[in-house]
Amino acid sequence: METVLSTVLIGVMLGAQYALLALGFTLIFGILGVVNFAHGSLYMLGGYLAYAAVAKAGVPYPAAVVFATLGTAALGYLFEVWILQRVVDDHLATLILTLGFSQVIITGVTMVFGHEAPRFTFPIVGNVAVGSLFIPQDKLIVFAISAVVICAVYWLVYRTGFGRAMRALSIDRAVAITLGMNARIIFPLTVALSAGLAGLTGSLITPILSLSPHAGESVLITAFVVVILGGLGSVAGATAAAFLVGIIEAFSGVYIGGSLGTLGLFVLVIAILMFRPSGLFGASMRGA
Amino acid sequence: MMDHSVVVGFRRIMDRAGWLALALLGAMVFMPFLTSDPLAYSIGTQILIGASGALGVYVMLRMELLNFAIPGFMAVGGYAAAISASHGVTDIFALAAISFMLPGLLSIPVGAIVLRLKGVYFVLITYIFTEIVQLVLIETPSVTGGTDGLIGFPVLQAFGVQLTAYSSTFYVSLTLAALAFLVAIVTTRIFRQQFSSIAQNDVLAESFGLTLWRYKTIGFFVSSGVAGLAGFSLVNMLLIAHPLSFTATSAVNYIAYAFIGGTGYLLGPLLGSALLVSVTNALSFSGEYSEGFFGIVIMIAVLVARGGLAGALANLWGKLGPRRFRQDYPRPASKVSVKGAQ
Repeated sequence: METVLSTVLIGVMLGAQYALLALGFTLIFGILGVVNFAHGSLYMLGGYLAYAAVAKAGVPYPAAVVFATLGTAALGYLFEVWILQRVVDDHLATLILTLGFSQVIITGVTMVFGHEAPRFTFPIVGNVAVGSLFIPQDKLIVFAISAVVICAVYWLVYRTGFGRAMRALSIDRAVAITLGMNARIIFPLTVALSAGLAGLTGSLITPILSLSPHAGESVLITAFVVVILGGLGSVAGATAAAFLVGIIEAFSGVYIGGSLGTLGLFVLVIAILMFRPSGLFGASMRGA
Repeated sequence: MMDHSVVVGFRRIMDRAGWLALALLGAMVFMPFLTSDPLAYSIGTQILIGASGALGVYVMLRMELLNFAIPGFMAVGGYAAAISASHGVTDIFALAAISFMLPGLLSIPVGAIVLRLKGVYFVLITYIFTEIVQLVLIETPSVTGGTDGLIGFPVLQAFGVQLTAYSSTFYVSLTLAALAFLVAIVTTRIFRQQFSSIAQNDVLAESFGLTLWRYKTIGFFVSSGVAGLAGFSLVNMLLIAHPLSFTATSAVNYIAYAFIGGTGYLLGPLLGSALLVSVTNALSFSGEYSEGFFGIVIMIAVLVARGGLAGALANLWGKLGPRRFRQDYPRPASKVSVKGAQ
């Protein structure tokens, strides 16, 4: 029973991380219709920016996380304004552009920091005892931050004028623009938000997992899986699917081991794409 | 008499870009007379492998489907060749048949699932397919050697002659690339109209009575078979069949070759691969830096030169070439609006 409980706990914490990661990915698809292949690389870049701030500039870790979030957000903003905006309605073109962008980020990071994984660890270690369970403090902190940020994103998307403008533009751009919403302002900000979320996730999680120029690749697959399960473009779906994937991964890690659990997850994803392309939880923001 | 009809039939099948692609491949036969530099052979082999992989991307792009399954099917072809060779099949044509047919046959059931999707969903599902192939390779060490891969590749034979010369790797790749191009040329020429109508508007095409799944399956079969040949070529060059040669991220390379070369022209994959592979080698980038270089180049190609290299050449030819050749090449169906798909 204890193993089951602790596995569920691991799964939920993993799920919060995945939700944070997948929110940005699903937002940018939902609002702009862009599948962002650079999402994993932005995650990795966030990790490196935080590492550089801590190790090279001696900034305290919380400030480094803020720096990484803002840095990746700024990069995402510029990428949208300078590059993505020119062909934003051509889904093949935007996909290739994000692929190219991803490669450039990976190479840039390799040129600056080298191939080897730097030593970047979470500043707080140790466990918290809850009854007979021991929970690692670093994961608990990441869980708390993730929960707060996820709620903030919800509030932003569903409770503010900015969020309403974002959703209006995704539902019917022509009408939204005639009503005075400016896609040239909202789209770059959406990409900045999405990139910032990727950077934040990277700066929080890479110290716990690992940091290397290719750390974003496996993360990108996870984002794919979560977002497909939740329905591409659906914010609520992505959050729910993230916890589901987290719990499935935790259980398969404990009870099956190896990559068979991942294989099962992939097969599940294909089945979902076949029979419920709008995801497990119903409607998405945008058809494709 | 029969010769005449064969010639007419063949002329109908081959278009100018197809002839040019085969002619360029044919010209590479004469490489030994130009150089004996092992590096030139190595670059030539890499170009041919890249071009064959990119050809798989090209065939599906003719139907406006961006295929990330290329490395997955390359792995199937490469491992099939390696396993067959270790069981005593060393004839290059027999191995070519195996490395084409096995991925091709596998593509039929896989296609039954993935070809029902299009656009972004097709991209994601083919990406996941390649990831699944990776996991299967790692999880079945008794057949595939797992994370160690299958090391060693026996000396191949052609027409009963052992291919021991150091240039033979290049010639094996050249033969396989020529086969791949021949199959792709014939397929895209025969089904040109069907592929184009699927690319332009598949819903409309279907309402006019076009059996979409049939042509999509044919295209996917050829794309996968061609990728299988590229996989065989790659394994033969590296002398090892290893999961790392076939990662989903490596699909980006083949997509880059196809886009830089020009997605509207059969010559594109060959030109794109030749340019990117030789520039990468000339600037002596290591693998990591070449990725960034590819990234910048594909971004530029998408933003300013959607026709790619072949498109630019065709434009030039249209302006400067002899009058009787001044006719338009089919333009690539490039823009699909996300809005329109809503």
